[in-house]
Amino acid sequence: MQFINGVTVGIVLFGIGILGLVLRRDLIIKLLSLGLVNESVILCLVSLNARPDGVPPIVYAEKGAPYVDPLPQALVLSAIVINFAILALALVFVMLLVERYHTTDSQRIEHEIQQEEHR
Amino acid sequence: MSVALLPLGHFLFAALSLAWERGTRRLLLLSLFFDASLLGYLFCSFLQGETFAVVLGGWERGIGIELADDRYSLVFCFLAIFLTGAVIAYLWREHLRPYFYMLFHLLLGSVFALLFAQDLFNIYVIMELLTLVSFLLVGYERKPVQIWASLKYLFFASLGMVMYLFGVGILYYHTGTLNLGILKAQLIGQQDAPWLLIVSSLLATGIAVKAGIFVFSLWLPAAHASASPAVSALLSGLVIKMGVVVLFRLAPIFPLSLPLEVLSAITGLLGIIYAVYTYDLKRMLAFHTLSQIGYLILGIGIGTELAIAGGLEYALGHGLFKGLLFLSAGTAVQVTGKEDIPGLIARRSQIPTAARAGLLIGTLGIIGLPPFAGFCGKTLLSHGTDSIVAQTIPVILSIGTVLSFAKLLPLFHPVRGPSSPWSKIGSYAILALPMVFFLPLTRLFIPIEQWNESFGVIPGVESILIVGLGLLLYRFLPARPVKLPQRVFRLEEAVLVILSGFFLVYLLLLVG
Repeated sequence: MQFINGVTVGIVLFGIGILGLVLRRDLIIKLLSLGLVNESVILCLVSLNARPDGVPPIVYAEKGAPYVDPLPQALVLSAIVINFAILALALVFVMLLVERYHTTDSQRIEHEIQQEEHR
Repeated sequence: MSVALLPLGHFLFAALSLAWERGTRRLLLLSLFFDASLLGYLFCSFLQGETFAVVLGGWERGIGIELADDRYSLVFCFLAIFLTGAVIAYLWREHLRPYFYMLFHLLLGSVFALLFAQDLFNIYVIMELLTLVSFLLVGYERKPVQIWASLKYLFFASLGMVMYLFGVGILYYHTGTLNLGILKAQLIGQQDAPWLLIVSSLLATGIAVKAGIFVFSLWLPAAHASASPAVSALLSGLVIKMGVVVLFRLAPIFPLSLPLEVLSAITGLLGIIYAVYTYDLKRMLAFHTLSQIGYLILGIGIGTELAIAGGLEYALGHGLFKGLLFLSAGTAVQVTGKEDIPGLIARRSQIPTAARAGLLIGTLGIIGLPPFAGFCGKTLLSHGTDSIVAQTIPVILSIGTVLSFAKLLPLFHPVRGPSSPWSKIGSYAILALPMVFFLPLTRLFIPIEQWNESFGVIPGVESILIVGLGLLLYRFLPARPVKLPQRVFRLEEAVLVILSGFFLVYLLLLVG
């Protein structure tokens, strides 16, 4: 087994995404990092259950060849759709915040909201 | 088929309430009737020893998605019906957009779908649906505080579910199935395989973020305190419990006993420490959601029949009294315009009498005075184990709960307040009545001999002593407010805390 495969790349991407979530203050970049974290797990899921020598899981003329398991790919499709919905909805809420505070800096937004609360 | 009909029916109601704008209230009543009749049927069959299971699409059990009802799902369905009834009564006179009612039906539909789900991936999808719906419900009023709280919620919940999905992927690679029943049979012999430890800690971390356990669910205080009262009642009473239901289902399959016991002590103690020094009423209630989850997962962690029944009972009781507390606290805050407890006490004559009565009954329930709901679950929990450590955790948690609710005492001073509309009184009564008559209800959970053994005079006297001790300690509490660290609730720190929580669970699994 090669060292550089889908799983290790996925784990590295996961780490990069977490770093982006923690270190960057820009909300849009935070959202993109969240997307990266989500995609990294999808990459892991697909490549864990991959079978490089398998044939597509369609009823073929030639019998006996090993089929690729179609279930993980079906699962991943729904996960991708869910991640899309989450990113889209989160962007709408970020837009509402930006309209009010004219910044995407998460710490400034948090500070302003706390100021408003204390008033 | 009726287990599939319940969630589908609610998704249909959601679409209808958008299309038929003037009939949203009639649709609410219709949906309540629909739930009650279907659940009554399921419940009667369950009492006769018959359960329903269906694999959707006519596939075999390993491939298709299985839906089935069992003890856990029926208890939480019962809770869902009562909370829905109370919230419908509470909102009866308010004019909300059809969009709100659509979200309400979607929330109920996904709750029912999760309760019957017997498949790990199906649980993932419904959990994400619940995240999205509760995200929109928290931000419904479009106040900046709510929007920021729900954005943070979305970040953490999404991160948690990513870890859960990773666990599901590894599990599928090793076992080739995601059906809980088949997994249980397959994993019996290999409880200490190295990959199983990673899978268990990933799944437990993912669910813990949704289930309101302290080190993971740092989004909860802001989200539950800033949402509107009806939404807080639903989220705190019902949605948090959905994570706990999944833990109930995972516990017999994965070796989670030790991590859950340790996490219950952590979440209980930290939740109480924060609640004692929080003077904002709704935020204090939110911290108490975190602390009371400690009882539930302690029951799951101990794992004996009696302790699980105790945890289940406490989940039901907690849903009822936390819903009641949030609804009546919401009215008090709306009427007086004050959110902090001293401000509310100063204006207590403006608070409607019914709301104060609701707060009082909810408080009596949460501190565990004998006939009320909190008492039954706690008693069964301490009867369910022999270990001294597991028996002291509930006692310490109870004393802490009394200590933090003692702040509210001046609020219950008998002064006449304004009267409330009938719909509000009805909504409090729907939640208060089953709480007051909880003791006879608990006979359904355990065999009658054990019931007689558990509930005698001694546990009653014990719990009264605990309340007395808590009130005594409150006298000696320093009156100066203590500043507790609030940085952990920020986005950046909380992400790191969740990750370290994952390593904590993994270490505990290695040790245990």
